[in-house]
Amino acid sequence: MIIKVKIYTIPTCVYCKMAKDFFAKNEIEYEEYDVSKDKKALAEMVEKSHQMSVPVIDIENEIFVGFNRSDIEKVLRILKQKK
Amino acid sequence: MYDLAIIGGGPAGVAAGIYASRKQIKTVIITDIFGGQSLVSASIENWVGDKSISGFNLAKKLEDHLKVQQGIDIVDGDFVLKITKNKDLFVILTKNNKKIEAKTLIVASGSRRRKLNVPGEQKFEGRGVAYCSTCDAPLFKNKSVAVVGTGNAGLEATQDLLSYAKQIYLFGRASDIRGDASTQAKIIKSEKIKIILNVQVKEILGDKVVTGLRYIDLNKNKEDILEIEGIFVEIGSIPNSELVKDLVLINKFGEIVVDHKTQQTSMRGIWAAGDVTNGLYKQNNISVGDAIKAVLNIQSHLNSL
Repeated sequence: MIIKVKIYTIPTCVYCKMAKDFFAKNEIEYEEYDVSKDKKALAEMVEKSHQMSVPVIDIENEIFVGFNRSDIEKVLRILKQKK
Repeated sequence: MYDLAIIGGGPAGVAAGIYASRKQIKTVIITDIFGGQSLVSASIENWVGDKSISGFNLAKKLEDHLKVQQGIDIVDGDFVLKITKNKDLFVILTKNNKKIEAKTLIVASGSRRRKLNVPGEQKFEGRGVAYCSTCDAPLFKNKSVAVVGTGNAGLEATQDLLSYAKQIYLFGRASDIRGDASTQAKIIKSEKIKIILNVQVKEILGDKVVTGLRYIDLNKNKEDILEIEGIFVEIGSIPNSELVKDLVLINKFGEIVVDHKTQQTSMRGIWAAGDVTNGLYKQNNISVGDAIKAVLNIQSHLNSL
């Protein structure tokens, strides 16, 4: 069972670190894009989220702005049931 | 049933947890996240014992220190919605529907960010209106931005923006800058920064994203519009005291009124510590000391029951 996760981050952002720690702890692989350096990823992030704020988390095309652990846990539970 | 429930996982809550555990008081601590408001700070240079530490690492250290204690129950990723009193017990209800009973409470729920409350602020949140400079400053590369607030948080936001923004306007309501002199000295030299004092922001303007702000010059009573692409709001905080508003005395600032000798509130059985109280100075180090006072006082209270 593989859940596709992308995280758009900035190195100094603590909520990004918390999000990454969370996925690591739950042994879920993620692709990370540093939008302070990667212009293409920044454009993609803004297009997906309509927001200028990090982190943006893309879980199987569902978009989360910021890191809200209980919201993300909920969506992961649903995805795991589906798969 | 617990002897003590601690609400909050900032410096006050964690200090209370460590002391309570070492005093073998049957304790539970309930918190959304660890670290408190300093969590988003890039660098804290006045936390005693550390020359410089990031808010993230401070939060980790606090959490680690708490988690090695014996016999304390930790409920994290949850927060308290309501507290009621049932005879001699306090009944705590959490967002995840947990019901926790305790003989005594330490309210260390801290405070949250004050917002401007002007038209446009909510609409453009995340679309130019930002509240976390360590998170979002790099997104404003080569852009003109405003920072509202000249306290330490405002000065730190300005500092975080310095390496990215093209131009920074620092807005203050008072006639002088309030933050620490040492941080002021670091930013005042930059030609990128324009300081605009005695002003009040009236509206945030934009279409899809922020394009400007309307403000009033309080001395001249004159309105002006400034074209900017981002605005960082750092205008202080509001105590998270709502959860006990029907139980204890709260002052006009929303702060829980405590006896500064013991941290006791107006209700027997409830203590409070840290930024949620009417303590004169809101500081990590002070919150720690106040929380410890509370635990020591609670220990004598519990022994007398």
